[in-house]
Amino acid sequence: MNHTVGIADMKVSTSREDVLVTYSLGSCVGLTLYDPVACVGGMVHCMLPLSTIDPVKAGNTPLMFTDTGVAATLQAVFNQGAERKRLIAKVAGGSAIMDDKGVFRIGERNYIILRKMLWKNNILIAAEDVGGTVARTMVLHMDTGRTSIKSGGVEKEL
Amino acid sequence: MTRRENILAGLKKVPPLPVASVRVLQRLQDPNVDLRELTGLIEYDTSLTTNILRLVNSAYFGAPRAIGSIHEAIVRLGTRTLSEVVISSAVGPITQVPIRGYDLPAGELWTHSAAVAIGARELSAALKTPEPKSLFTMALLHDIGKIVLGNFVEVDVAPILDLVNRERIPFEAAEQQVLGIDHAEVGAALLELWNLPPGIADVARWHHRPDELEGDRQAVDMVHVADILCLMSGIGTGIDGLNYRPSDGTVSRLGLSVHVCEAVIAKILNGVEALREMFVSAAGRVR
Repeated sequence: MNHTVGIADMKVSTSREDVLVTYSLGSCVGLTLYDPVACVGGMVHCMLPLSTIDPVKAGNTPLMFTDTGVAATLQAVFNQGAERKRLIAKVAGGSAIMDDKGVFRIGERNYIILRKMLWKNNILIAAEDVGGTVARTMVLHMDTGRTSIKSGGVEKEL
Repeated sequence: MTRRENILAGLKKVPPLPVASVRVLQRLQDPNVDLRELTGLIEYDTSLTTNILRLVNSAYFGAPRAIGSIHEAIVRLGTRTLSEVVISSAVGPITQVPIRGYDLPAGELWTHSAAVAIGARELSAALKTPEPKSLFTMALLHDIGKIVLGNFVEVDVAPILDLVNRERIPFEAAEQQVLGIDHAEVGAALLELWNLPPGIADVARWHHRPDELEGDRQAVDMVHVADILCLMSGIGTGIDGLNYRPSDGTVSRLGLSVHVCEAVIAKILNGVEALREMFVSAAGRVR
């Protein structure tokens, strides 16, 4: 079954028949986590780097922020029986508007915070497709853990 | 006929905005408008009346107590909110359709338009400046040219994207080179044809190049930034992606900071959900 992960949203699956998909990753970041042995997968789509800018919002919608969103997704896959050492992490998004000189540099910061969160949790990024000026769609196939990226009408494996 | 002339000639075939809505919007420009006249004008059109009552009771515009009549809507919400409701009810249906050339599925252009309208308003609040007149309406209509130009972009999307990637020029500049016109200019021409109050077409025309607008740039600056923030957030981001160039002039005129940008993005999402439901139910589509 297809499950759409919206903006500031997360889905976790334990079924080999599931496909998790998130559309229009611009400066947002998408993260997939997959444990092939336990067959547990998760996907999150975060908009903003740090939850500290809006503590009230962070309480209500922790998935909006990369720091709290990644933490929540890790917790969710662990709760379903995934093991840290088996997790395969893939990342997409973090795009930028053209010739950005600073005030719009949110994609890059989203990506930096995401790396930091994974590093703190001893998880390496297995593959990534980040940066540039494109919008991306990210798909996680639960049967094999295959992750694909679509952008500008072109699909590729990550 | 050049491609540009061909595209502009096609504007006459676009169905106009509902006459009653345009007339109400024009009357609302007058600060001394007679409320009884306004009520009569709206109630004369049953579908406009129904739409207004549905929208004023929706999550975004929603008042704490249900509103049962046009008179009550005007008195309780005021003429500014009323004009936002009227323009939303007119623009909603025509932006619900899939916009093929830009790769926007059904509903996505409406969501983007509404998000930019909410974002522009949140930006004005975050900057602690008085909200420019008609900002919401201007923002809601900034991309209306895409409903027409999409058909032409679809045919020529390969050369347009090729120019963007090879020469690192913004998408609208590539549209100009390939088609002889861009979606901002087409939108402005359409809005003029629709007889909307002055100033609205100017914001559509210059929303990617705010420095080129002569006169007060406050509204166009806010729409320019709100548009960028929505595209970055993936709200209505299509084949054009993030291939637009922010104006340094706008950034310095508004005194924009990363903090303000992030705060506005955080606020857009909730507002969009509330506005989306108004038309998703009507169109029967959920993505």
